[in-house]
Amino acid sequence: MTRAVASGFGAVFGFAISWGQFTDPDRLREMLLLQDPYLYVMMATAVTIGFVGARLLRRRHARALLTGTPIRWTTTRPERRHVVGAAIFGVGWAITDSCPAPIAGQLAQGVLWSLFTIAGVVLGIALFLRRARVTTHAR
Amino acid sequence: MADFLLTRPPPEVIGLLLGFCVVGVLATLNQQLGAVGGYSAVYERVTRRTSVLGWKAWFLGGILLGSLAFRLLAGENTVGDGYGWLTREFADWAVAPLLVIGGVMIGYGAKRAGGCTAANGICGTALGSAASFVATGTFMVVAIGVTFLIDAVIA
Repeated sequence: MTRAVASGFGAVFGFAISWGQFTDPDRLREMLLLQDPYLYVMMATAVTIGFVGARLLRRRHARALLTGTPIRWTTTRPERRHVVGAAIFGVGWAITDSCPAPIAGQLAQGVLWSLFTIAGVVLGIALFLRRARVTTHAR
Repeated sequence: MADFLLTRPPPEVIGLLLGFCVVGVLATLNQQLGAVGGYSAVYERVTRRTSVLGWKAWFLGGILLGSLAFRLLAGENTVGDGYGWLTREFADWAVAPLLVIGGVMIGYGAKRAGGCTAANGICGTALGSAASFVATGTFMVVAIGVTFLIDAVIA
């Protein structure tokens, strides 16, 4: 059931980013060149909905429908890794005019160039996990 | 087909749908959504770092399905030919390594920052995580700055 629910929400997410044309590198570039406010209005709306919805769930002491666990979340204090990682991510975003969810959307829409970006994303994850393991072993 | 899908709806509509996903995943799975975690879940399962395929892999699979459904309903590709500024400025043989390099930075950077545009930029900020606000502010400023820089160089 978890798989079906996760896939269902993923499908809504994928449909939405495709409809909003976040899969189009030129559209994303216009947004990053501040020629089109679409991305920023979309993000502000999504964050507002998420902010209100999550707090309503917590205020009602709701339990997750599938797991039965009390709905709660933890927040993280900013560390150096958040700034360094996000800066690296930002450069990659600017080069490809895409990020992980839209890359998957591009592939589904038949944009074969996305295969190279996906290969890079997987390589980057492998590099991170390898580095994390080496660091852990060194401690 | 559904012609209205070929035109972007108001950004608030897309924001509403993505916000619904944030709340929905929390309400059903008690989890925080993210896309790069899906790629990571698949990689960790394939390389046998984990014994089960994490739920984020299914979320990523859903993104593929939803985008495919959009493509079929819209009746045509809304992405266009080529690949943005890269295929306009460079020969195809040069575009591929640039996309791989960009992808490496996206994958590595997102893992190090604890999330991507979806996980930090939408979900983490909605849940009030200070780290997500810092990460989002950083990647937005850097992405905008680098895009302006690229624009200046290729102009």
